[in-house]
Amino acid sequence: MEPYVLELKAITKIFPGVKALSDVMFQLAPGEIHALMGENGAGKSTFIKIITGVHSPTEGEMYVNGQKVQFQNPNDAKRLGIAAIYQHVTCYPDLSVTENIFMGHEKVQKGTRRIRWGEMHKEAQKLLDDLGAKFSPRTLMGSLSVAEQQIVEIAKALSTDAKIIIMDEPTAALTKRESEELYRITERLRDRGASIIFISHRFEDMYRLASKVTVFRDGKYIGSWQVNEIDNKDLIVAMVGREITQLFPKTEAKLGDEVLRTDGLGRTGYFADISFSLRRGEILGFTGLVGAGRTEVFQSLFGIEAYDRGNVFVKGEPVRIDNPQQAMKLGIGYLPEDRQKQGLVLDWEISRNITLSALDRFVSKGSLDTAKEEEEAVRLAQKMNVKAPSIYHLVSSLSGGNQQKVVFAKLLTADLDILILDEPTKGVDVGAKSAIYEIISTLAGQGYGVIMISSEMPEMIGMCDRVAVMREGRITAMLGKGEVTQENILQAAMESRSPSEALAGVAKS
Amino acid sequence: MDTRVISGSRAFSWKRFFMQWEWMLVLIFIAVNIMNMNLSEYYWSFDSLRDATMTFLDKAFIVLPMVLIIILGDIDISVASIVALSSVIMADLYNSGVPMPLAMLICLGVGLVCGFINGLLIVKFKELSSVIVTLATMIIYRGIAYILLEDQAAGKFPEWFSFLGWGYVGPVPFILIVFAVCAAVFIVLLHRTTFGRRVYAMGNNLTASRFSGIRVDRMKIIVFTLAGLMAAVTALFLTSRMGSTRPNVATGYELDVIAMVVLGGISTAGGKGRMIGAILAVFLIGFLRYGLGLVNVPAQVLLIILGLLLIVAVMLPKLKLSSLTRKPGR
Repeated sequence: MEPYVLELKAITKIFPGVKALSDVMFQLAPGEIHALMGENGAGKSTFIKIITGVHSPTEGEMYVNGQKVQFQNPNDAKRLGIAAIYQHVTCYPDLSVTENIFMGHEKVQKGTRRIRWGEMHKEAQKLLDDLGAKFSPRTLMGSLSVAEQQIVEIAKALSTDAKIIIMDEPTAALTKRESEELYRITERLRDRGASIIFISHRFEDMYRLASKVTVFRDGKYIGSWQVNEIDNKDLIVAMVGREITQLFPKTEAKLGDEVLRTDGLGRTGYFADISFSLRRGEILGFTGLVGAGRTEVFQSLFGIEAYDRGNVFVKGEPVRIDNPQQAMKLGIGYLPEDRQKQGLVLDWEISRNITLSALDRFVSKGSLDTAKEEEEAVRLAQKMNVKAPSIYHLVSSLSGGNQQKVVFAKLLTADLDILILDEPTKGVDVGAKSAIYEIISTLAGQGYGVIMISSEMPEMIGMCDRVAVMREGRITAMLGKGEVTQENILQAAMESRSPSEALAGVAKS
Repeated sequence: MDTRVISGSRAFSWKRFFMQWEWMLVLIFIAVNIMNMNLSEYYWSFDSLRDATMTFLDKAFIVLPMVLIIILGDIDISVASIVALSSVIMADLYNSGVPMPLAMLICLGVGLVCGFINGLLIVKFKELSSVIVTLATMIIYRGIAYILLEDQAAGKFPEWFSFLGWGYVGPVPFILIVFAVCAAVFIVLLHRTTFGRRVYAMGNNLTASRFSGIRVDRMKIIVFTLAGLMAAVTALFLTSRMGSTRPNVATGYELDVIAMVVLGGISTAGGKGRMIGAILAVFLIGFLRYGLGLVNVPAQVLLIILGLLLIVAVMLPKLKLSSLTRKPGR
């Protein structure tokens, strides 16, 4: 039997405190398009980085064309003909297409080291012609569309004579027509003898292109199937799989009056037709794939980037929100997705971080009353059960879970009715997770209206009263109690529907 | 992991108390004075030191808001041009018949407006750094001053106007009193108010500040406007001391001011440093200049010494971080 072009055996990768991959295997046959699928956080990105030599595995073996290899750096992988094309194109927008293609391996005259532009342009033109591109290699990279940039990335991979090409969610930012073009190019690559690992969240990509599919979940290898052997439903089960064993301390809160309602909220290019209502004591989940527009909706609602269509009602009153101060004055608080960049001043003590968003509360006689401030910081830090020796500890020295508790404490200093929590358990270990669930549940019980944005299926199902599923900037389903199942969520998050079907999904709820 | 319940008490540590850049400045300050005393017998007298302060305090008014700007992580190099423009407009107005008190008020107003324009441009054109914006306004403000006076001197101010730069209240120079009041106001503003806390927050993490509901744009405009206003205060004292003005007054002040702020331990990366450090640096550099001037050390040598001091000021915190203080481990 012909050897695999790429084979990984028993790969384990441990980062400090996190086991990103454990005992993973993968086999890529020559001339095959192999789909790799899994939820966010399943370990796909780490896996690619090991294949391309960015990370070296903690344990395990890797074979290229039957030869055992050990990559010290990305150049080793490149030399063996492995190239990756990433979801967010990494390019030099102010340089020409030719320069982008040959970056790092320019053609130079022997001796004088002069760059041979004529030859490079000619070769670039040939690569682009092969791929059916209609732009000149002298065009500036920044003036191309995302789809065209992706073609340049593919040309770049070909210019290094890549035999193994990894495509990481290449269709995520493409329109249907552009995706179709990409499928065609990918097939042409395969016909020329390349083997392709195709990572995507879209089932349609997989069915259209791949002959084989491998599924990862939670850093583990789940299985490989021929694409025509496995149906949609089994694949979803494989990706989600686990029974929910985590403890969700969700208590039934009494639902009160409506605190927030939006009507046809939209921001051009990001999201449209977002309508929902939220009651006191309710936890409303928002899920969907990364890039579905969840964060954008709620950053607009919090006034970070203004929405340009639709209406917002807070406690029945029509309001307009243009900046975070207004949002907070109306009682809307936002726990940002990236707590290190958006939520905390890392070089500051715990106490100062906690009081930052409500400093005006601690003013007496025109100046800041630090005693009062620290008293409140201690009270909230204890209430959130932050584990640190004192409130004077720097936030940067805390673990992820404790940092998140500080952000929660910070949220509670302000006088709020509505809490928007964006990925509240991201990058937090399991123990701290259930502590955070408990906090969220308690807050809902106290009468806050809570919106929880998350990509993690179990916490959506375990915590939320209702779940809105978003896809490509729109709500594709509003699942009520009893309808919140993994299958329903994945269905709504991944499958494209025509607008009328999407509407039917909303109406059904 | 530490599992104790969090507490609100902090142990006092002498090490932490003395591990502050400001003590270093105090030591250098004492060293400078000892050196000066040995250099010249005329140095160490009350009259001599008192009069020395009058010669270097004018630009110290700009140091105060510059501390805020650098803590924000920004910079303003147009301040010297604002001094020139507000000074020239004041002289022009007075010479064309406007009463002096009104001309002085307008001088302050000009500074205010110039600073406000800086702030507005910086907030509106976020892709431009504050260096570039204030480089442009630096050239524009100075250019307007040249158009107004055409490289002439203007002066013949009323007799009483010289009191600002030369007058005494009892034994104390008037300028020193005004500076002390301004310094006190800025210390309170930076270290005791919500405004100051927000400035530090913005300098440390602008995005998180925005998400915390701080009106970051408005804050920036206010800080740059303050710098313009204080530049105009400098213009008042400088013009009074010189008795006349020219479009090229205060040339190079922006670099002196920034040097004092950096020597004072305010990090150009933003978010760190204290007002008292910059104030110490003002006196340190002032007395150093004065002492070396007494024994006729050439100005160029003085510049070299200042440059060396600055390098030490920038280097030392880095050395300290790597060797002496270690953050509590994870």
